[in-house]
Amino acid sequence: MLSIKNLQASVGDKPILKGINLDVKAGEVHALMGPNGSGKSTLSNVLAGRENATVTGGSVTYQGKDLLALAVEERAREGIFLAFQYPVEIPGVGNVYLLKAALNAQRKHRGLPELDAMDFLALVKDKMKLMEMNESMLYRAVNEGFSGGEKKRNEILQMVVLEPNLAILDETDSGLDIDALKVVSHGVNSLRSPDRAMILVTHYQRLLDYIKPDFVHVLSDGRIQRSGGPELALELEREGYAWVGDATNEGVVAP
Amino acid sequence: MNPFLAQCRASFEAQATLEAGVAERGQRQAEWTRFEALGWPTTRLEDWKYTTLSGLEKLSLQNSVEPREEVKGVPPSLPLEGIPANRLVFVDGAFQPNQSMIDRLPEGVRLRFWSDLDAQERERFTHKMAPARALTAFGALNGALFTEGVWITVDAGCALEAPLHLVKVSRTGQRMSHGAVLLELGENSGLTLREHCVGNTDQPTHSNWVTAIELAPRARLTLVKVQQEGLLSYHTAALHALQRAGSHLQVFSFALSGALGRNDITLRLIEPHAECVLKGVYRVADRALQDFHTSIEHDSPHCTSDECFKGVLEGSGKAVFNGRVRVALDAQKTSSRQSNHNLLLSDKAEVNTKPQLEIFADDVKCSHGTTVGQLDEEQWFYLRARGIAADLARTLLIQAFTLEIAEAIPHVGVREEVRHLLSGTVEENDHV
Repeated sequence: MLSIKNLQASVGDKPILKGINLDVKAGEVHALMGPNGSGKSTLSNVLAGRENATVTGGSVTYQGKDLLALAVEERAREGIFLAFQYPVEIPGVGNVYLLKAALNAQRKHRGLPELDAMDFLALVKDKMKLMEMNESMLYRAVNEGFSGGEKKRNEILQMVVLEPNLAILDETDSGLDIDALKVVSHGVNSLRSPDRAMILVTHYQRLLDYIKPDFVHVLSDGRIQRSGGPELALELEREGYAWVGDATNEGVVAP
Repeated sequence: MNPFLAQCRASFEAQATLEAGVAERGQRQAEWTRFEALGWPTTRLEDWKYTTLSGLEKLSLQNSVEPREEVKGVPPSLPLEGIPANRLVFVDGAFQPNQSMIDRLPEGVRLRFWSDLDAQERERFTHKMAPARALTAFGALNGALFTEGVWITVDAGCALEAPLHLVKVSRTGQRMSHGAVLLELGENSGLTLREHCVGNTDQPTHSNWVTAIELAPRARLTLVKVQQEGLLSYHTAALHALQRAGSHLQVFSFALSGALGRNDITLRLIEPHAECVLKGVYRVADRALQDFHTSIEHDSPHCTSDECFKGVLEGSGKAVFNGRVRVALDAQKTSSRQSNHNLLLSDKAEVNTKPQLEIFADDVKCSHGTTVGQLDEEQWFYLRARGIAADLARTLLIQAFTLEIAEAIPHVGVREEVRHLLSGTVEENDHV
C-alpha cells in the first residue's frame, strides 16, 4: 500500500528526515516510535502533504501512485487520513458541515453518490455512539473550545466516518486520560481490517497496550534505527531511548 | 463646481421652489447653506483622509422630488418575496405604499411620513433629525435634498417580536436618493429593524440616508443593516442614537458590495446603565472602498459598549475603520471594548484602521485591539487534509471569519437570513 524509499526532508534549512525506508502493506499496523525531535511528526506531515517540510530526496509510492505529486486534498480523497497531534480550532465552521463536506468530497472522488442529510446524520450519530461523544458536539464549531481529549476524540470520529485506507495517527495518545485512551483505541480498533493500514506515531508504549501493532520501528535522528515486533516497544519502555542515538541529548525540538 | 455638486444645487433649487411651507423652505435653505459652508469633503480633511470621492464628483445624478413617486413592478431579484409582512419600501428615495405592507403592525407601533406631517410635527421631526444630519456634510445635503422621511414610534411597553423591514431600493441608474428615518422607542419597548439597502442597476447611484434614534429608559432596539447595492453604487449614511437609562441598543452593519460606502455612526449613552453593541462586517473587492467612522460616547456612569468590526479585503479593495470611544469625566464605571480585525487577501488591498480612545474618567475598563492578517495556514491545511478543495477551504475560512458577527444577532430569523447572505452559495448547495 505504501512504500517509502530513502525519504529525505528539511524544515527550513535543517535536515530532519535523513533517509527513511518503510513498507506498509494492507492489513498491517505499524508503530513508529522515537524520542522528541527524531522526525516522527515531520514524517506524518510529509505523508499528509503539509508544506512546512520540504522533501529533498527519495520517493513515496501509495497504491501505485507517486504520493508526493498529489495535492493535500487529493491525498485525503485517495484515502489517506492524518489524525493531527494538535487538532486546529476553526471558529465559524461547523463540525457537522466539515464531516459532511469531507465525506462527500471523498465519495464524489470515488464515483459514489453523495449522501443526503438524513443518511449522513444517521451514519454520523452511529459513529458518535462508538466514540462516546455527545451529539451536541456536531453542531459546535470545529474543535472550538474542545478540551484536549475532546479534540482527539473528534479526530478519531472523523476517521471512523471517512474510513480511510491508510490512517496516520500522530501522537493521538498524548494528553489523553486512561478512559479517553480506551475510547479512542476502541474507535481505532473498530477500523482494523485486511484492506486498511495504520501508522501509529507515538512516544510512549502505553497506546500499544490498547492497539496492538504488527511492527514497531524506532526512529532517531531522521532514520529508522531498528524494526521489530511488538516486543521492541516493551524493550523501549524498559530501556528508554538513550541507546538508539544521541538525539535526546541534543535538545532538538520537534517541529 | 463639480458635476455632482452642480446637479445637487439644481435639485435643491427645484425642491425649495416646490416646498409649500415657508418654514420648510427656510429649513432646506439653512441645510444647503450649511452644506456649502462645510465644503465638499476632500482627502485634505482628517475625516476623509483615506476616502476619496473623486468617483462621485464626476457623476451627475437626478434627485427624486416626489415623495410618493410610484414605481411599478419592483423587479423580482429584490428580496421582497422573502418579506411577507411589516415592510416599508422606498424606491429611489420615494415611499411605495403599494409595495409596502404595514397593516399588520400592532397598535403600539405608529408610522408617520414627513409628507403627511403638519407644520408643528415637521418642526419636531427636523429638530430630532438634527444630530444625525450634523455628523457629516452629507447629512446637511440630506437636510437640503431629502424626498421623504418616516417617523417610527413604538409606545411604552410594546415589544414587537417580528422584525420591521425597511427596504431601500436604488432601482434607477443616474439617480440619488435622500431619505430620513426617525425611530423613537418608549420605555420598556422593543423592536428589531432590518434595513435592506439593495440595488439592481449597473448604472451609478447614490444613496444618502440619515437615521436618528432615541431610546427611552429600558427600551431595546436591534438594528440590522445590510448594504448590497450595485457595483457602481455610492452609499453614504449617518446614524445617531441617544440612549437613556438602562436602554439596550444593538447595531449590526454589513457592507457587502458597492463602489464606495461611508457609514458614520454615533451612539451616545447619556444616562446610567445604558448598553450598546456595535458590530459590523465590510467586504471589499477590486476598486471598492468601505469606510466606517464610529463614535461611542459614554456621557454617563455605569454604561457598557461592545464594538467589533471585521473586514475582508480582496484585489485592490480598500477599507477605513475609525473607532472613536469617548468617556466623559463623570462617566465612571464605564466598560468599553473595541476591536477591529482584518483579513488582507491580496498585496494590493489596503486597510487604514485607527482606534481613537479619549478617556477622561479614571475608574473605567476600556480595551481595544486591532489585527491585520492573512488566512490561517494551519486551518487551511486542516480542511484540505480532510479532502476539501483548496478554493472551497479558503472560502469557508473567509466566511467563518465574518459569520462570527452574524452569530451575535439576537433575532433568530434575521440571524439566519444574514448568515445565509454571508455564506453565499457554498452552504446553499450543501446544507446539512
